[in-house]
Amino acid sequence: MDIITILFYLVTSVIIFSSISLVIVNNTVHAALLLVLIFFNSAILWLMLKAEFLSIVLVLVYVGAVLVLFLFVIMLLDIPVKKNPSPKLYLLFSVTTSLIMFAELYMVIFFHNFSDKANIVVSSELNNTYEIGLMLFTEYVFSFEITAFILLVAIIAAIAINMSKKQRSLRQNPGKQILENKKSRLKIIKGDEL
Amino acid sequence: MITMTHYLVFSALLFCISIAGIFINRKNILLLLMSIELMLLSVNTNFIVFSHFSNDISGQVFVFFILAVAAAESAIGLAIIVSLYRIRNSIEINLINKLKG
Repeated sequence: MDIITILFYLVTSVIIFSSISLVIVNNTVHAALLLVLIFFNSAILWLMLKAEFLSIVLVLVYVGAVLVLFLFVIMLLDIPVKKNPSPKLYLLFSVTTSLIMFAELYMVIFFHNFSDKANIVVSSELNNTYEIGLMLFTEYVFSFEITAFILLVAIIAAIAINMSKKQRSLRQNPGKQILENKKSRLKIIKGDEL
Repeated sequence: MITMTHYLVFSALLFCISIAGIFINRKNILLLLMSIELMLLSVNTNFIVFSHFSNDISGQVFVFFILAVAAAESAIGLAIIVSLYRIRNSIEINLINKLKG
C-alpha cells in the first residue's frame, strides 16, 4: 500500500463517518461543525485528484462563507435541541430508500464500462488554475456571465425576503388620507361604557 | 492503486447517506439544507473524478459553476428560514403546513 492509498481510505472513512453522524445528530451546531470537517477532507480528496484551484475554493468559499452563514443563522435563531418524533419509522424508510439507491448506483458503476484513461497522463505545462481560467474565459464565457447574474439575483432575493415592512419615513400618504371617512376616525361611546 | 471505481463508490455512498438524512430529519430544516449541501459535494466529487480520469478540464469548470449556484441557493434558503422563523417562531418541518398541501 502506497501513501496515496492510505490517504484515500483515511479521508473517505472520515467523510463517511462524519456524514453519518451529521445525519443522525440532533444538535445543529455539531452538525455545522461536522460539515466543516467533511468539507476540509473533501478538499484533501480533490487535491489528490489534482484539482488544486477547486479545493482551495472549497475551503475559502464553502468553509469560509457558506458554513459561517449557517453558523450565523443558527446563532440568530437560537433553536432548542429537540428529538425526532417516531425515529424508528423514519429510520426504516430512509435506510430502505438509500440502500435501494446505492444498489442502483453500484450496478451502474460496475456494469457500465467507463473508459478508464488514467494511464495516459498528458503532462501539461499549464497549471490547474491557468487551465480553468483559460476554459472559463473562452469556451464557457457565456455561462460565466450567467453565473454572475445568478449571484446578483441571489443577493437581491436574500435582501428582499428579509426586508422588514416597517415604515421608516413619516411621509404622509395622500391616497390613504382621501379614503378616510368619519366612521373610521370618530367613535361615539356612551357614558356607561366607559 | 486507487482507480476511478473507488472514487465513484465513495461518491455514491455519500449521496445515499445524504438522501437518508433528508428522510430522517423532521424537526430541523437547517439539517435538511446541510444534507443538500452534502449531496452537491458528492456530485462535485463525481465531476472532478471524471475530469481527472479522462484528462478533460471541462468537468472542473462545471464544478466551479455548481459551487456558485450552491452558494446562492444556500444563501436564499437561509434567508427564507430566517423569515419563516420570524412568522412561525419555529423551524420544525412538521409544523410547516401553511399551504395545506
